[in-house]
Amino acid sequence: MERTVEVVPEAGLHARPASQFVRTANQYDAAVRVGRADEGDDGLVEGNSMLAVTGLNVEHGESVRLVAEGEDAAAALDALAAILTTPVEADDGEGDAEGDGP
Amino acid sequence: MRTLSGVGSTPLSGVGTARWYRPDALDLPERPAPETVDPARERERFADARETAREGIRRARDRTAERVGEDEAAVFEAHEQFLDDPQLVEAIEDAIDGGVPAEHAVDDAFGEAVAQFEGMEGRMAERADDLRDVRDRLLRALLDAGTGDLAALPPGTVLLAERLTPSDTAELDPGVVAGIATATGGRTAHAAIIARSLAIPAVVGVGDALADVAEGATVLVDGEAGEVVVDPDETRRAESEGLDAPVVEERVTTADGRPVEVAANVGRPAELDPAVARGADGVGLFRTEFLFLDRERPPDEDEQYEAVTAALSAFPGERVVVRTLDVGGDKQVPYLDLPAEPNPFLGRRGVRLSLDEHADLFETQLRALLRAAAHDGGDLCVMVPMVARVEEVEAVLDRVGSVAADLDDEDVEYAVPELGAMVETPAAVHVADALAERLDFLSIGTNDLTQYVMAADREHDGVADLHDPLHPPVLRAIDRTVSAAHERDAWVGMCGEMAGDPALTELLVGLGLDELSMSAVTVSAVKERVRAVDTDAAAALADEVLACETRAEVAALLS
Repeated sequence: MERTVEVVPEAGLHARPASQFVRTANQYDAAVRVGRADEGDDGLVEGNSMLAVTGLNVEHGESVRLVAEGEDAAAALDALAAILTTPVEADDGEGDAEGDGP
Repeated sequence: MRTLSGVGSTPLSGVGTARWYRPDALDLPERPAPETVDPARERERFADARETAREGIRRARDRTAERVGEDEAAVFEAHEQFLDDPQLVEAIEDAIDGGVPAEHAVDDAFGEAVAQFEGMEGRMAERADDLRDVRDRLLRALLDAGTGDLAALPPGTVLLAERLTPSDTAELDPGVVAGIATATGGRTAHAAIIARSLAIPAVVGVGDALADVAEGATVLVDGEAGEVVVDPDETRRAESEGLDAPVVEERVTTADGRPVEVAANVGRPAELDPAVARGADGVGLFRTEFLFLDRERPPDEDEQYEAVTAALSAFPGERVVVRTLDVGGDKQVPYLDLPAEPNPFLGRRGVRLSLDEHADLFETQLRALLRAAAHDGGDLCVMVPMVARVEEVEAVLDRVGSVAADLDDEDVEYAVPELGAMVETPAAVHVADALAERLDFLSIGTNDLTQYVMAADREHDGVADLHDPLHPPVLRAIDRTVSAAHERDAWVGMCGEMAGDPALTELLVGLGLDELSMSAVTVSAVKERVRAVDTDAAAALADEVLACETRAEVAALLS
């Protein structure tokens, strides 16, 4: 089974979202693949590999396709879609360090 | 004295003795003939190295979570996933089975992955750094190499490196490392973020010139200016004087007993602990923008409540002055859809937005603040930025009243905090008496006040000489504000760069400020200065300074 979602976190499929994605993919009894929605089957990579997932370089706002096979496929898709559609504060460390207001 | 330029990453400065960190001493032994390699033993070595690396990553994660924050620690979760990456593990184990020793198998597999990410833009380049970090952990374990004794550096070290990994940085003790300078890297790299959160002065991206700095040289790292100064002269050192001062934790008074509160400016939660550690009496400016920037929708009431109560808990019983949302045309907040403005600093910013098109955001923020004011053991103060009119303060008081009434109706616990206004426009200076009549306190924002009084853009190099709070018009505006507030029994603080300059402490005490708030790093140095002040002498100095007509005359009196 499969699903297509738009990536909401500011960091795209990087940093914390990527990490959560891979961890979650590993938790289910399902083979998960992920790729850009418009790249068809050729664009799919293994969802349990941090290297492969971050290597996609999927940015905020892009549509991704999730394909899962196996006993927990439906549950895995639900959990992964939730990660991809939940906003996270971008962890880019840009602070307001030098005091802009005062 | 020689000055190298880079990118200021942590806006603090420090001086120390240069020590080179060269972790690249991970030299692989000669590659043996495949038939001499025992794959079973190499697999075991690889498995052991993975466990050692895993323990190290988890330690770094825990240490970073504890000292810096959960967000910054997340990078180490990614590291652990690289360690377990099926593609990498498979490639390594295949190579081992084909007669390659574990260290070469690791180096090859990671090398290929690094090469894929390297040279790509932005985040992908950071991934290459993360992969190198994990590779080095594995190689160190396999080669039995040390970590370059980062955890055991002598005090007063300025660490120089081609690059620093997040793991390296998390290892550093801010009490020992006076500064960091790296040849590569940008200010958003994970290592830079961690250094910033640990309040270690840092300059990154210095380039090849850094290599010429000799081991043992005296080096000043100025993360504000983005400069690395080799053999700094006295003048240059004086600029960062006091940053190494011992921490003064207790509250201080002048030599003759007048209390002066010395507080810290805090821009995000990770800065709370360093502020406590540097001896701040409280928070004189808690910016709330971090809650609003870089995200898809505004924070809800509970999230804001949590953030403010976290600040109150960090300073039990001490004053925490929270500034309400101060965005405007110069700051990007996607969901607010603020139009670009020709003169953002003269446009719709601060309280102007809060009272008008974003009244809903303001109301949510006020609800969170009033609830937080009821937090046990806290002393919350709330101030609004960019005030120019008495009407604005009256409108804010109205809103506070109606939010309080709502919370009352809903039976939600709340308290009304002390309320204040930032004095950063000449208009506010001229009505400071009327503002103080209606409020509990005023806080002078000298960076913006200087900009508006002198009509000089603070970002514009061409008018940098005008942007200086020692110009008599700015000093007189400060004096006027303090006097007006005191006549109305309101207290007056100052937040902004001027408050944190120990060379100006006597003058500011003489001008009558009750509270000074600054970057945490200068708190103790300013406290030391306060202790030495005689209030009568300080008042006399202030009178003399206020009589000056030019900046040069002011500078001469203060030298």
